[in-house]
Amino acid sequence: MMKRFSNQRFKNLCDSFFNSYAQVFFSKNRVFALILFLISFFDIYAGISGFIAVMVANGTAWFMGINRQKIVSGAYGFNALLVGLGFGIYFQPGLAFYILLVFIALLSLFITFAFEGVLGKYGLPYLSLPFLFGIWTVLIATKSYSGLNLSERGVYQLNDLYSFGGIAMVKLYEWFEALPVPEALRIYFKSLSAIFFQYQMFAGILIALGLLFYSRIAFLLTLIGFFAAYYFYLFIGADISELSYSYIGFNYILTAIAVGGFFIIPSRRSFLWVLLVTPLVAITMTSMSYLFSFYQLSVYSLPFNIIVLMFLYALKFREKNFNKLTPVILQEFSPERNVYRYKNYLQRFGSMPLIAIKLPFWGEWKITQSFNGKYTHKGDWKYACDFEIVDEDGKAFSGNGTIPEDYYCFNKPVTAPANGEVVEIDNSVIDNAIGDMNMEKNWGNTLVIKHAEKLYSQLSHLKQGSIKVQPGDSVQPGDLLAYCGNSGRSPQPHLHFQLQATPHIGSKTIQFPISSYIVNDAGVYYFKTADNPVQDKIVSNVLIEENLKKAFHFIPGESITFIDEKQNRIQWEIKTDIYNNTFFECRETGAIAWFKTIGEVFYFTAYKGASDTLLYYFFLSSFKVITAFYKNLTIDDELPLDLFPNKILLLLQDFIIPFYRFLFGKYSLRYIKEQDSKKGECLSLTSEVKFGVFNKSKTVYHFKIDICNGQISSFEMSSNNKLIKAKRI
Amino acid sequence: MEKQKYERPLIKKLESGMPNKFGTRTGYQPTTHIENVPVKDLIKKYDSPLFVISEKQIRNNVRKAKQAFETRYPKVQFAWSYKTNYLDAVCRTFHQEGSWAEVVSGFEFSKALNNGVNGSKIIFNGPGKSDKDLKMAIENNALIHIDHLEEFYSIRQITEKLNKKAKVAIRVNMDTGIYPMWDRFGFNYENGQAWDVLNKIIRTDSMELVGLHTHIGTFMLAASAYSAAAYKLADLAVSIRKKYNHEIKYIDMGGGFSSKNTLKGAYLPGQDVNPSIDEFAEAITSALINSNFEKGHLPILILETGRALIDDTSYLLGTVLSNKRLSDGRRSTILDAGVNILFTSFWYDHKITPAQPFTQYTEDTVLYGPLCMNIDVVRNNVNLPLLNKGEHVVIHNVGAYNMTQWMQFITLRPRIVMIDEKEQVSLLRERETLSNFLEMESVPEHLKTFDL
Repeated sequence: MMKRFSNQRFKNLCDSFFNSYAQVFFSKNRVFALILFLISFFDIYAGISGFIAVMVANGTAWFMGINRQKIVSGAYGFNALLVGLGFGIYFQPGLAFYILLVFIALLSLFITFAFEGVLGKYGLPYLSLPFLFGIWTVLIATKSYSGLNLSERGVYQLNDLYSFGGIAMVKLYEWFEALPVPEALRIYFKSLSAIFFQYQMFAGILIALGLLFYSRIAFLLTLIGFFAAYYFYLFIGADISELSYSYIGFNYILTAIAVGGFFIIPSRRSFLWVLLVTPLVAITMTSMSYLFSFYQLSVYSLPFNIIVLMFLYALKFREKNFNKLTPVILQEFSPERNVYRYKNYLQRFGSMPLIAIKLPFWGEWKITQSFNGKYTHKGDWKYACDFEIVDEDGKAFSGNGTIPEDYYCFNKPVTAPANGEVVEIDNSVIDNAIGDMNMEKNWGNTLVIKHAEKLYSQLSHLKQGSIKVQPGDSVQPGDLLAYCGNSGRSPQPHLHFQLQATPHIGSKTIQFPISSYIVNDAGVYYFKTADNPVQDKIVSNVLIEENLKKAFHFIPGESITFIDEKQNRIQWEIKTDIYNNTFFECRETGAIAWFKTIGEVFYFTAYKGASDTLLYYFFLSSFKVITAFYKNLTIDDELPLDLFPNKILLLLQDFIIPFYRFLFGKYSLRYIKEQDSKKGECLSLTSEVKFGVFNKSKTVYHFKIDICNGQISSFEMSSNNKLIKAKRI
Repeated sequence: MEKQKYERPLIKKLESGMPNKFGTRTGYQPTTHIENVPVKDLIKKYDSPLFVISEKQIRNNVRKAKQAFETRYPKVQFAWSYKTNYLDAVCRTFHQEGSWAEVVSGFEFSKALNNGVNGSKIIFNGPGKSDKDLKMAIENNALIHIDHLEEFYSIRQITEKLNKKAKVAIRVNMDTGIYPMWDRFGFNYENGQAWDVLNKIIRTDSMELVGLHTHIGTFMLAASAYSAAAYKLADLAVSIRKKYNHEIKYIDMGGGFSSKNTLKGAYLPGQDVNPSIDEFAEAITSALINSNFEKGHLPILILETGRALIDDTSYLLGTVLSNKRLSDGRRSTILDAGVNILFTSFWYDHKITPAQPFTQYTEDTVLYGPLCMNIDVVRNNVNLPLLNKGEHVVIHNVGAYNMTQWMQFITLRPRIVMIDEKEQVSLLRERETLSNFLEMESVPEHLKTFDL
């Protein structure tokens, strides 16, 4: 126990430390962090200084009791690191230096809190503002500190190298500098290295490689950002030496990553915005440099900070087009994962409304008029649906259909589509004779339910006197409210259903999808989620199969143990975190698979861990499971591309994902009823996951999950050369 | 030009234009085709008498019934009553339409298993379950509807021996205002028997109480009785919930819905006066919905209706053997199909139509079967056109009970065919032969030979 505890501590320490390095480039990639850590030691004293600053900042935050997760993510370390590096570059080491360094790191931490507090209120990141204020404060203050000596290392670079690595190091440096690299590229690499207060190509190349390893999109963006600036300078006739001489070309690089792929989901539009904001950075930089020169201070990354913050803030003023340039909500610290998961999320849950609206009846009804219908669903009332019941021959009545009672839907229960409160009813309109219409009280007997602010549903043409609820009554989905009738503008019995933003009978309709329902197309069933009803379809609410529902209802605290063919025990624990996420955690491998249940559907949402664990296969096999049984029903879904098994192909896809997608990951599920009575109520799910290029499948997995008496009893996976069978114990 | 049909001379009192109490004259139409297959061809190929079942009509009936209930109640399940007609093809048609199986004997239970029904979807009813039957049911996770206390004790014993939990329900009988009150099956609601056994079940670890069942009668002509029964069962379920915090999963309202047949002695034809499936559905569902179940906790509603779903899907084709005049002057016609294969003619005045065209002249006739027994009367009094030897008749609404209660008495049992949705005919059951019989019989050695 003790050992485990200290292991966790050590891991936290390492994570917080290295993440502080990677965070400078919006990353948490360990390899990238190691490269950056190494580069920081190209100037050994700066490296030590940076190291100390990070330790002091993170350590202080830890003992102050700041949020552990944020410390571990490196959020409090990277600004201190930059201040430490800068401080180390500018001054000679010594006792006064190190004592001062500790306090400077502390200062950076406090400035970080200040900015986090202020900017956090606006939902904005603090970027490297704490570094800027930290380093400026220090530089101005140290002007009067006589105990500190300015470093000369930066001035006599060759001397430094010689003292560091002998003549070989100097040779290497010279060879490197003499490489026939185009001027622009040379400046690019140097600008990259400048972020770590270096000014040499070698460090720049290492960083570029690290960037490439961390994220193809980020790497591509750095090039785009930098060269956009480069050509803007050429075009505008600005002083190109501003880019090449000082350290500040990296502003474009960081801006490009931030705007193009880190804070915004990478897309064509985000790339375009990189091109649009680059000149803004350039203009800001030139003017700020001029102002700051009075105080003999560099602007460092100030232009980047100003422009990125303004841009992100500006996005918050949008009233529409939210999906055209989407800020990252759940930061994965990888532009690739951000875009794959976002696109996948959009496909899977994009149109899922926050409030689940169900069909307001029991059994199967036909949609006789849908949105923009040909009879009355026009103009302000275009988002409405009419329902009737029809028989095998498509007829809505038996007998000769001359009285309302002949119609199948007449006097059938009308139920609540969602939780809510009844706000208005009209219960007194006489039902029409067939063919007749009441144009005066055209909505007939009507019920309006409030589900949320600006979300009301209206049910009309109900039977006279059949409404069983009163205004103020609260209703739950599926509660019987009234009976279908033939009142108002209704030549034959039918149910009118619409959603609206205001509580009045006959308000303007709003488009709002039905959260889930079943379409019966001549005996073939389709499951629809968050979809708009289509005219002439036979639809019904989903009927839950208790056996399936129980099998896919995982309770936090529960643990599930499988035993595979090699007699290995695999144990999964169901857990929750403080953000109310629920997930499976594999005891043996530490793999985690997140899941959620929306209505009658069980979804796996994300997976972390090795891609050969039983949990991974289970995650793939049950990516989307509807806890209902319909004959021959197939469930389809799309998998996020970061799961793609061929990582080289994925690498290529990474580069062009903002523009074009050529890889796919598809999921499909079918249900089979088992007929072994002795086992009880059993059911098998067979699912298939296909990963491929264009339309060709490359990797295919087949899964079979057996469910008996409300429990998953066994699991099977087969792929090209692999077969795994596991039994639940 | 076709040869004119011969009709024997007939003298009849003239009643021109005078409507009798059933309307004007009987508007008979011949039934020359069933689902577009000529009756003549059927008899030619499969012999007379012959049972003909329409698959399309079965499916229509189930779907109509399902729609009637499912649009009125959130969770509905039909279970096919095997005893009504347990021909495998018929059962499987119902199972294809989503019906579970409802059986009342070990034999029927095995038949359902053999049809591929999962044991957990078989409802086991009836007062005559043997210990062997119960063991089979428990092993197959069936839903056992306990009929009497002896059965409860048997189940308890078997489950303890098998170390397996049994899923049980009890059958409840009650006063629903109809006569006769069926109190021979199950436990009485009013006198506390039902509570007595419920208390016992709840306290038995090896049993899980999953449902409540009632079956108030047969060929019910008043839907309102179901309303009363549903209220009482719902009340029982709610009380169990209150007393034991135990939620039952389903309420089984049994069957007994009348078909469109006309009961003997009924004043008006069943077609016109018997309640429709919608009326039964309305009565049952509105009673359940308006009962005291908690919101969102309505149990599954199970229905075991048999007769109402199958009666009108089947026809018995017969052939005229002879005509003769009785002593009182009435006409009688002898058919080759009698009560031995048309058991329901004891209860119903079956609708009977000739299978070939005829003129407007009709005569009151007594229809006899071929048995040499006085009871063999198909219709005591029916107004039929003038039939000749060798002509065919179609007896309607014979789907329920006849193909399960028929007797091998005097004659052997005929073939059964089904017309599928594509109007193709397939043989469901072969005609019995002498060898079928000899197979089952054995003669002691000393009786094998004799001299006459």
